[in-house]
Amino acid sequence: MLSMRKLSKVYRTHMIETHALREIDIEVGEGEFVAVTGPSGSGKTTFLNIAGLLEDFSSGEFLLDGINVHGLNDDARSRLRNQKIGFIFQGFNLIADLNLFDNVDVPLRYRGFNSAERRRRIEAALGKVGLASRMKYYPAELSGGQQQRVAIARALAGEPRLLLADEPTGNLDSQMARGVLELLEQINAEGTTIVMVTHDLELAARAQRNVHIVDGQVSDLDHGHVTLRSVLG
Amino acid sequence: MEIRPILSALVRSKTGALLIIAQVALTLAILGNALPIVLQRLEVSARPTGTDEANVFYTRLFGFKPDIDVPTMVADDYALIRAIPGVEAVARTNQAPLFQSGWNLSFGALREGNAEPVDVTNAAFYYTDGSLVDSLGLALIEGRDFRDDDYEQINSGLADIRPKQVMLTRAMAEKLFPDESRFVGRSVFLGSGADAQEMRVIGVVEKMQSPWAQNSEMAELSVIVPIFDLQPSAAYVVRTAPGELDRVMRDVEAALTTARDDRVHIDTRSVAEARASRYRADRALAWLLLSLTGLLVLVTASGIVGMASLWVNQRRKQIGIRRAVGARRVDILRYFLVENLMVTSAGIALGLVLAFALNHLLVQQLSIARMPLGPLGWGMLGLWLLGLLAALGPALRASRVPPAVATRTA
Amino acid sequence: MFSYYLRLGLSSLRRNPLLTALMVLTLGVGVAASMSTFAVMRAMSGDPIAHKSDRLLVVQVDNSPAGERNDRGEPSDHLSWLDAKALLANGDGLRRSAMYGVGTVAEPPDSDARLRVQGLAVGADFFAMFEVPFDSGGGWTAEDDERAANRVVITRALAQKSFGAQPAVGRSLRLFDREYEVSGVIGDWQPQPRYYWLEAGNGNLFGEIEDLFFPLNNALSIEESPQGNVSCSGEGPTEPGYRGLLDSECVFMQFWVELADAGDRDAYADRLSGHVASQKQLGRLPLGERSRLLDVREWMVAQRVLGDDTRLQVLLAFAFLLVCIVNTVGLLLAKFSQHSGEIGVRRALGATRGQVFQQYLMQAGVVGIVGGLLGVGLTFVGLWLVGQQSADIAQAARMNPTTLLLTLATAVAAAVLAGLLPTWRACQVTPAVQLKTQ
Repeated sequence: MLSMRKLSKVYRTHMIETHALREIDIEVGEGEFVAVTGPSGSGKTTFLNIAGLLEDFSSGEFLLDGINVHGLNDDARSRLRNQKIGFIFQGFNLIADLNLFDNVDVPLRYRGFNSAERRRRIEAALGKVGLASRMKYYPAELSGGQQQRVAIARALAGEPRLLLADEPTGNLDSQMARGVLELLEQINAEGTTIVMVTHDLELAARAQRNVHIVDGQVSDLDHGHVTLRSVLG
Repeated sequence: MEIRPILSALVRSKTGALLIIAQVALTLAILGNALPIVLQRLEVSARPTGTDEANVFYTRLFGFKPDIDVPTMVADDYALIRAIPGVEAVARTNQAPLFQSGWNLSFGALREGNAEPVDVTNAAFYYTDGSLVDSLGLALIEGRDFRDDDYEQINSGLADIRPKQVMLTRAMAEKLFPDESRFVGRSVFLGSGADAQEMRVIGVVEKMQSPWAQNSEMAELSVIVPIFDLQPSAAYVVRTAPGELDRVMRDVEAALTTARDDRVHIDTRSVAEARASRYRADRALAWLLLSLTGLLVLVTASGIVGMASLWVNQRRKQIGIRRAVGARRVDILRYFLVENLMVTSAGIALGLVLAFALNHLLVQQLSIARMPLGPLGWGMLGLWLLGLLAALGPALRASRVPPAVATRTA
Repeated sequence: MFSYYLRLGLSSLRRNPLLTALMVLTLGVGVAASMSTFAVMRAMSGDPIAHKSDRLLVVQVDNSPAGERNDRGEPSDHLSWLDAKALLANGDGLRRSAMYGVGTVAEPPDSDARLRVQGLAVGADFFAMFEVPFDSGGGWTAEDDERAANRVVITRALAQKSFGAQPAVGRSLRLFDREYEVSGVIGDWQPQPRYYWLEAGNGNLFGEIEDLFFPLNNALSIEESPQGNVSCSGEGPTEPGYRGLLDSECVFMQFWVELADAGDRDAYADRLSGHVASQKQLGRLPLGERSRLLDVREWMVAQRVLGDDTRLQVLLAFAFLLVCIVNTVGLLLAKFSQHSGEIGVRRALGATRGQVFQQYLMQAGVVGIVGGLLGVGLTFVGLWLVGQQSADIAQAARMNPTTLLLTLATAVAAAVLAGLLPTWRACQVTPAVQLKTQ
């Protein structure tokens, strides 16, 4: 599903070069549930942005669902992002001025589905996260956990191939967090590939496999994909 | 004074600053050009005619039958008019100031080294068989008015007018005889060359505008000659007692129109009405431009308020940090006011350039006068003040941002 | 997607009513100011006879003496009878007419009414040349012209006042203290401006037409004095009175010629030069080479139908609109900058830059439409204000469908123009950066 080889990302300003990612190799197979962990500043957010086609990378190769992402222009990346990827953010990132129905609707609009198809998908997605009865509510009227579930519904409505989650439970209390995680596991059980970025190792343990990023480099734990690279590479 | 950091911060958010600079510049350019035009038009439309304007009106009738006995008609008219209470003076004439139709002829005078009179200027040519000085309420400053035996009878449609005496306005006298201060007894020539008619100056009035009241010195150049016109036109200037104008106008019109049936009434209007008509366009344009500049100032002021507010909002955290590290309220206030002053000043500087460019265009294409610097200076001052006032509100709000903001917001 | 963006735009604008109102007001006022002055300018520079204006020409013969103190450097608006007579006799061109204005009193039959009327003495060709429509009857014939017959063409209004509901053609109307036979009644004819008889400085460019038209030769025979500008430069008339006027270099007439084809203009100009040359031989026309032909549009320009004041107003009003647009750019920038969060999310969810562009440009467009509607209302006020300057301008300052549409279109165009920079900025919001700061 997601294949990065020798991928690097360098940020350049006037005088400073920051190597956010150094020739990382990551493979995520279809249907896997992978947690990406690492301390803050390690580069995992950068990894997520690149994986989600939100940022471009400096060198290396990145294949998403078999498609080579290199050289795609902004429009093409947007299209790909829209069709293949679902996002779940730490801060939910719902649009405050739209009700739940309209929030879940947003990515579908850019897909070009007709209104009947969109309605079907929105109702299905909100139903899956248990919020179908509150379609006309506004985000401000819901609890944190409920808002995150709406965000998940939005991510699912387009039937993405890959779900990218950035600290999905970071802003939730433990009870709500459990609920969200169960939902993610359920979604994964139904066949969706999930890559979750988190600094919470306990959360990471719930995933099938962990990938640890430190100082821009990968150390892959578990399931035999051990690739240790020295800092001096 | 933190000018450099303010400047570099502005450069980083230069779009907003440029928008304000553009608005201020355009406003100054328009103000600097529109205000002088407004002032000039209002000035022109306030010029006095030299008459007792509040109490004077002009009535005109046109005799359309042949063989009208004009002397009898005129004598009857005078008697009719004088019989109406409230009439102080009446004179028959061919035109009146501000009524926009009349005669304009050329006049000359003798000059050193020329045997024949030299053509000097055109002027409004008034003729009367009564006293215009009395009826218009003119101010006689030298010499005398016409006497009964000065008037000559002539039919202006059949014969040339060749008067022997003339009265001048002061401006006309000075134009014909520069460097002189006494004019009675001098010779003015109607027409030019060998055939010009020599007229002796017998009196000078302070001021009597031409019927057209042109936007130039021509407005003040008028002459009066003593002619009794045998053409069947009946046009009278009447001066009334104060406060009686409206009633007397109605009474005179009624009396004259019913007196005979071989005449048709053209109009009866007061000098005040004629003024309104003559200066209607000038006044309307002045008000139009004034409204436009008023709206312009409002729009620009709202733009400055808006942009200043936006900058304050965007920099809440920064303000908090500054306060946290020791800035006082007044320092924050000063920061934003200085920032606004810099933007406004840049706008004013650009505006000066635009004002002159616009003026150049107007002078070339629309024969507008060169822009005087006075109104421009006032415009600059006004815009500085406007900028300050507009930014004051947001700046005060900025100064009230508490230091705690530094740590609270993400 | 259009209706989606429209819905989003409307709700976004509704959420910040103060800002929206300010934008709508600014645009509305700017558009109203520029459109009202522009409408007046258009009305005053319209071609009143477009299909013919390039072959309907005014002939100006310059008989100014050399070295005059107040020489304008170009021919006067009028010409003398000496020249008009010669031009008529030459008979060049398809049709021709000399003319001058008169004033008299009409005495209708069976009535004591005395109507002060304005008239124009013209040739028989006048009506065909200027395509005057008739309610009944028509102009007089060429023979009538030659006989200097007592014929007259009157307006519908004068016919009503004189004869009531009765047909006027063939009836007799007393004018100039003589009896005239009505040969025709003019229908709806209100050329804007009255281009066929323009005298600089005498208002009424857009006002009512004259009350009556009668043969020039008749006016000459009854020695009817001109009512209008009479200008005698240099030596005045050699004898006083009407005959003196006709024989002198005093100018008080105008001369129009209609050519069969616009291409004949050069040939006619040559004939005009020929006339000037032959007059020079007789000692006239020292500055005759300044004589010229002007077609209808050039004539209107020379007569300053579109006054300088009108053009000044249009210029300043459009400068004001520019300030309003710049102002709106700032307002939209401020508004859209509050949306960067939402834009970042939409981009992350797959919106392309183009789609974000369309969404936010639509908001600008909505502001434009609402501003345009307000602008239309304010344009009525603007037209009234501009029309205060004179009766002529008030006549020209009328709302019509074109002005209405133009106002709406300008408002939308201005709003979209103002929206370009802010919308472009909105598109530049990168999804990654925004999400990090959430």
